[in-house]
Amino acid sequence: MSGQSQKAGGPLSGRARARRLSFYAITLPATSFLALLVVVALGADWIAPYDALKQNLLHALQGPSAAHWLGTDDLGRDVLSRLIVGCRIALIAAAEATSVAILLGVPLGLWIGYRGGWWDWAVMRVVEAIMSIPGIMVAIVIIAILGPGLHRAMIALGILFSTSFLRLARGVVLSEREETYVKSARVIGAPDRRILLRHIFPNIAPPLIVQLTLTVGAVLLAEAGLSFIGLGVQPPNASWGTMLNTAASFMELNWFLAIPPGVAIVLTVLSVNLLGDVLRDSIGRGIAVGVSPAAPSARFDAEASSAPSAPLPARGDEVLRVEGLQVVVSPSGGPEAPVLTELTFSIARGETLGLVGESGSGKTITGLAILDLIGAAGRSTHGSIVLDGTDLRSLSEPQMQAVRGNNVAMVFQDPTTSLNPAFTVGDQIAEVLQAKLRLSRKAAWARAVELIDRVGIPRPAERAKAYVHELSGGMAQRIAIARALSCNPKLLIADEPTTALDVTVQQEILDLFRDLQGEFGMAILFVTHDLAVAAHICDRIAVMYAGEIVEVAPVDDLFAKPLHPYAAGLLAASPHGASRNPPLPTIAGTVPRPGAWPAGCRFSDRCAYRRESCGRRVPLTGGSRLVRCLRADELDLGSAS
Amino acid sequence: MLRLVVQRLLAVAPLLFIVSVIAFSFTSLLPSDPVDLILGDTGTEEQHEMLRERMGLNEPIHVRYFEWLGRAVQGDLGTSYFNSVSVAGAVMQRLPVTLSLTAASAFIAIVVGFAAGVAAALRPRSLVDRLATLGATFGQAVPNFWFGLLLAAVFAVWLRWFPATGFTPLTTSPWEWLRSITLPAIALGLSSSAAIARQVRSAMVGVLQQDYIRAARAQGLSRRRVIFKHALKNGLVPVVAVLSFQITVLLGGALIVEQVFVINGLGTLAIAAVRQQDIPMIQGLVLVMVGLVVAVQLVTDILYGYLNPKARPS
Repeated sequence: MSGQSQKAGGPLSGRARARRLSFYAITLPATSFLALLVVVALGADWIAPYDALKQNLLHALQGPSAAHWLGTDDLGRDVLSRLIVGCRIALIAAAEATSVAILLGVPLGLWIGYRGGWWDWAVMRVVEAIMSIPGIMVAIVIIAILGPGLHRAMIALGILFSTSFLRLARGVVLSEREETYVKSARVIGAPDRRILLRHIFPNIAPPLIVQLTLTVGAVLLAEAGLSFIGLGVQPPNASWGTMLNTAASFMELNWFLAIPPGVAIVLTVLSVNLLGDVLRDSIGRGIAVGVSPAAPSARFDAEASSAPSAPLPARGDEVLRVEGLQVVVSPSGGPEAPVLTELTFSIARGETLGLVGESGSGKTITGLAILDLIGAAGRSTHGSIVLDGTDLRSLSEPQMQAVRGNNVAMVFQDPTTSLNPAFTVGDQIAEVLQAKLRLSRKAAWARAVELIDRVGIPRPAERAKAYVHELSGGMAQRIAIARALSCNPKLLIADEPTTALDVTVQQEILDLFRDLQGEFGMAILFVTHDLAVAAHICDRIAVMYAGEIVEVAPVDDLFAKPLHPYAAGLLAASPHGASRNPPLPTIAGTVPRPGAWPAGCRFSDRCAYRRESCGRRVPLTGGSRLVRCLRADELDLGSAS
Repeated sequence: MLRLVVQRLLAVAPLLFIVSVIAFSFTSLLPSDPVDLILGDTGTEEQHEMLRERMGLNEPIHVRYFEWLGRAVQGDLGTSYFNSVSVAGAVMQRLPVTLSLTAASAFIAIVVGFAAGVAAALRPRSLVDRLATLGATFGQAVPNFWFGLLLAAVFAVWLRWFPATGFTPLTTSPWEWLRSITLPAIALGLSSSAAIARQVRSAMVGVLQQDYIRAARAQGLSRRRVIFKHALKNGLVPVVAVLSFQITVLLGGALIVEQVFVINGLGTLAIAAVRQQDIPMIQGLVLVMVGLVVAVQLVTDILYGYLNPKARPS
């Protein structure tokens, strides 16, 4: 897929092109068919080969022939002619019922929505009552009052479908009247009616059009149904529904009678519905043409391999060793672009490595890549992820599944969304224990309560039965940590675990991590954009920029003397690193998007120390401290404090 | 959970009241005079007046409404103008027929709709997804009664696997019941299964992108468990609302599909009642149908509370 789209090149990606193609593939036939219907309906008298009502009992129930292309019915009437006349009936029916529905529903909905109060209450109760009766029954009752026949049946359907227009119009008014511009119009004393028309009507138009297509489709089906049961169009007049009624009686003698009117109904409704779908999509999204990031990645691959970094010196106590990892993603179907390159780092037993950088630098995807959970849009292409001697990239999905939870676990940024809202928090911990450690139901629950107690939540047995929406953010994050640690993993990936929390709670959670690390002994990969948080909890820090690590150093060394200009910039921009009085310095510009990285040093665009030579790829070099900067030795970026 | 049931029942009571007012007053708007309907052109002016007096038609409409309501609450829905049978009796006799058709088609719609919706959601834009979406689009455009005709033509008339017409009660013969209900239920269930499939697909696609799904996977739970336990329970929440609406639609559709297969259910009764301007019968039918719809809504509300802890009253 991506290979093809890359070869194709051009401003449109393969998928965007396919989407536009299918846009026309849908709208073109649907529109043409409906246009054809209108033409046939208007010219029915001239187009129909026979009089639709003219009987010829000698030629009854014939199959298709040269004289009667679609055969004849039980009274010898020409089916094609009746189909053509039925076309006109269908369009009249749809137009009548839809107009009645709009003319009745929209003004009433606008009025009660704007007026509010008792009228709104009373009308809405009646609408609810009508909507709780099956639609066809409502139509049948109204027909009972008005009497059968096409126009009366369509008024009945119009009344029925007016309820949805009423609710739509009321809904738009209710939301718009709270908008500032309507309120301010009221404040300056514009009269009610003018506010309604000038401000509210344009907002109703898009959903109205969508509702219109839905209604037309439903009306066509309902009209056919009512005519079929003999309450709509009355014989001998031809409509698609009455033709099917005839067909039903003569099914055993001539089944073909059922085909032409049925196909006509299906094609018409299908065209209307498809147009409605397209309209809804384009109104919902504001007709977007997908232009993908201009990012051919071939050039990139060549350069990445031209400047390999020195292999990481081996250490005896490593838990995780990531080497030369490259991850590519193809967001929304565009060509694949690398988001992580040459990623190399290691974490020792019981160590906490901070992964620090701005948004978009590739921190989170690193964590997900280790778990092989990047999703369908991305994949890792090079390198190794060695966990306790096993390369995770070589594992099959079932093997990887065994590793997740047991050996590596992850805590996510927002505990209120990373815990399932539909199960109690105790269930979610116990489930993991049951599935991964094969504990019994009872033992798993008991252990879950123990874990909840261990992460510092009072009354754990009671809290275990709570749902996540019943807990505070801090408490929910403690639960998420308890779940992550439930199988005693060797490595815990914590992805911005304090970012979504109140500042006062952040500190407690950080302390909890340190406590638990002392007890469980796991290594932690701590992803954060906050250097102050990293300083608090990490042993070493790896600074990431644009999908690669630019500096790795023990936390004190980094704070004392950053070697990479980006690391220095981050430190200077951190409130803990700068003196209070002058405003915090910022790093000009933003992290370039994947696929739009500069060819050489990726920070060079924003770097104050750039030289000509920075246009080449820069390897990560050094001993106990690693840095990816050609000028690391000569620059004195100084202490940040 | 009991609280939820009581709360919903209390909310439903005013709805039933309003529907009864609508059913009574609307059908009292019928153009024909019931006395003329019953006596026809025969009878003297006095006889007409006597019957009018005896039927209470000279009373003001609100008095008649409360008398009718009082009897309706006790299960007496009056007597048909046309053939003097009790409305409640006639409705109750046909109710099991329409109910089995509605229930069987709901079953089909739910099973097919869920299978297609989940399959499509698991691999968006895949071949399965495209086929399911295409099928759903078609399914919603096919009139249920026409689909019924085609099914009858192929499987009853041609292949003779199923009876073309008629209905066998479940109590008479479960096997024959199944044979008589299969084609009508498929015909009726098609468009609802399409609607449900669309809803399930979009709900599941949304849920599968949630953090808690990725978090559950990060915890090493199997893809199957995460999809069918964690995702489905959340994905069901928006679907349940559609389900209640779809069952109302099915109940209405049953009235028409019954005609295709010559099944003597509420539909046949309703059409005859409308033709004959049989007011008590129409009133009774509307009330019973609303009662059914309300019962379905109650069940789906409780289901909703079970699936979505936030919706439970605390």
